[in-house]
Amino acid sequence: MALLLACFFLLPLLGMAIVAFSVSDGQGGKTLGLENFASLADRGQAIANSVRVSLVGSAVGAGIGAITAFCIAQIRHRRLDDVVAVLSSVLANDGGAPLAFSFIVTIGNTGFLFAALGLDSVGFSLYSWQGLVVMYQYFLIPTMIMVTLPTFVGLRREWHEANKSLGGSAWTFWRRVGIPVAAPALLGGWILLFGSAYATHASAAVLIGTGGFPLVTLTIADELRSGTRAGGEEAAMALGLTMVAIAVVVLFLFNRLQRMSARWLA
Amino acid sequence: MARLTSPLRWVPILAVALYLAVPIICSIAFATFPGGSFSLRAFEVLTGDQNLASAALRTLTIAAITIVVLLLTLVPAVVAVHLWAPRLRPLLEVLCTLPLVVPSIALAAGVISLLRWGASQGRGSVPGQISQTLQNPDLPLILVGTYVVLCLPFTFRSIDAGLRTIPLKAIVEGSTILGASTWGTIWRVVLPNIAGPVRFSAFFGTALCFGEFSIAATLSQQTVPVWLFTVSQTDFRASIAVAVLLNLTTWALMLLATVAASRMAPTRVIDDSNTADPAQSASPEKVTAS
Repeated sequence: MALLLACFFLLPLLGMAIVAFSVSDGQGGKTLGLENFASLADRGQAIANSVRVSLVGSAVGAGIGAITAFCIAQIRHRRLDDVVAVLSSVLANDGGAPLAFSFIVTIGNTGFLFAALGLDSVGFSLYSWQGLVVMYQYFLIPTMIMVTLPTFVGLRREWHEANKSLGGSAWTFWRRVGIPVAAPALLGGWILLFGSAYATHASAAVLIGTGGFPLVTLTIADELRSGTRAGGEEAAMALGLTMVAIAVVVLFLFNRLQRMSARWLA
Repeated sequence: MARLTSPLRWVPILAVALYLAVPIICSIAFATFPGGSFSLRAFEVLTGDQNLASAALRTLTIAAITIVVLLLTLVPAVVAVHLWAPRLRPLLEVLCTLPLVVPSIALAAGVISLLRWGASQGRGSVPGQISQTLQNPDLPLILVGTYVVLCLPFTFRSIDAGLRTIPLKAIVEGSTILGASTWGTIWRVVLPNIAGPVRFSAFFGTALCFGEFSIAATLSQQTVPVWLFTVSQTDFRASIAVAVLLNLTTWALMLLATVAASRMAPTRVIDDSNTADPAQSASPEKVTAS
């Protein structure tokens, strides 16, 4: 168990770190240094694109997901809650190659709905950041629903009643109780969506292919496969490390925020 | 309470449902109505393509070994921690949750760095040999190891929760008094008692192996998703047909897994830690994706 983790998880990460931090000292040897991280500047476009797609995508997903989860909780139907919980947890794990295929067929340039929705006239292209944002919603919205639904369901009835009997309006309830309790969960969900959008590779790789619209994940994959540019592999490892760092921050923040909300809903 | 009028509340729900359903419907239509008339010709690739058959077989083999290795390492570890070292449980939990933190493409980069280092040591050397063995195209053990690690966060939670619902100590003591060995106890007594989590692990592992693209593609291993990507450049309609099937299969497996996991909790309350999905109570994260 520990051995497996060591061989297939910790060692690879260590290897990645060693490659990322090692630079040749000019005599064929290797020393530790930060030069590989300097080359990240050349890949600024990929980082900027990734951040942009993740920011827009996670904002849209968090908004729609939160509203939907809120409405589902309002309906107060036990069965619906259960079905949604299961479905959203399944869909939250989507994002593989088939997802990209289904979107190419639907709103790609020759897709079924491309002409019908008049996407051409509004200048929408699936093979750009807009397309990525639309496609990512397929797993971002379910993820948000999965994270926030328990919070909305858990906003207790007694609190509503206590608020009413103390003379508060619906507005007071949300301002004083609902929002403060739900806010950490909503923010945590949004951060989580950002992280998962940022880390997505498979569906983006199938949709964009190589080179058309650089993203961090696609750049890593390209550099690893081809090694066309000198120092490509080292740069890929450095990029990989930055991704790990971002993911750690995302999960840490998410857990903290979840706990803030859970304190009230336990 | 700000109760929205009833029909209005369904608007966002239906809109999201529509958004989720349309791409699936379009894919099915694209695969089965080439040129406007119904035909299943796109599915002929299923029987006619030698590469798909071998990719499917390879992926199945990887999945089978992954699940066996996963259960053989994880169940005894969790049982041991529950029985003899409850203090170590948090440590095990942290270890098992770590893989959630690393995006799979970054893990792929790390794996490649190791394999290349091994290969650079020369063909005859021990690291070189290991590197070659792990990347054997017929049975890429490197994928098995990596997939076991990727499954850990989800399966650990499931098995851990399953063991907590049974009187493990009493069972094991009874079994030992009656003369069973430790392995015999685990195999004959503990495993049947956590059938739900075990089933969850099996379904989940299979779904992951059939859905994972990033690592397999980066390591140029021909699993089903990688084959799908390759064939999409020559026969797009066939790749759509297979993609639809693959997607539905993966979802079905995940649904089965979730249902299997929720069986162990007979009465479920959604707002406590007893949720249907073991991954839900903790940090959900993408698995088959990215």
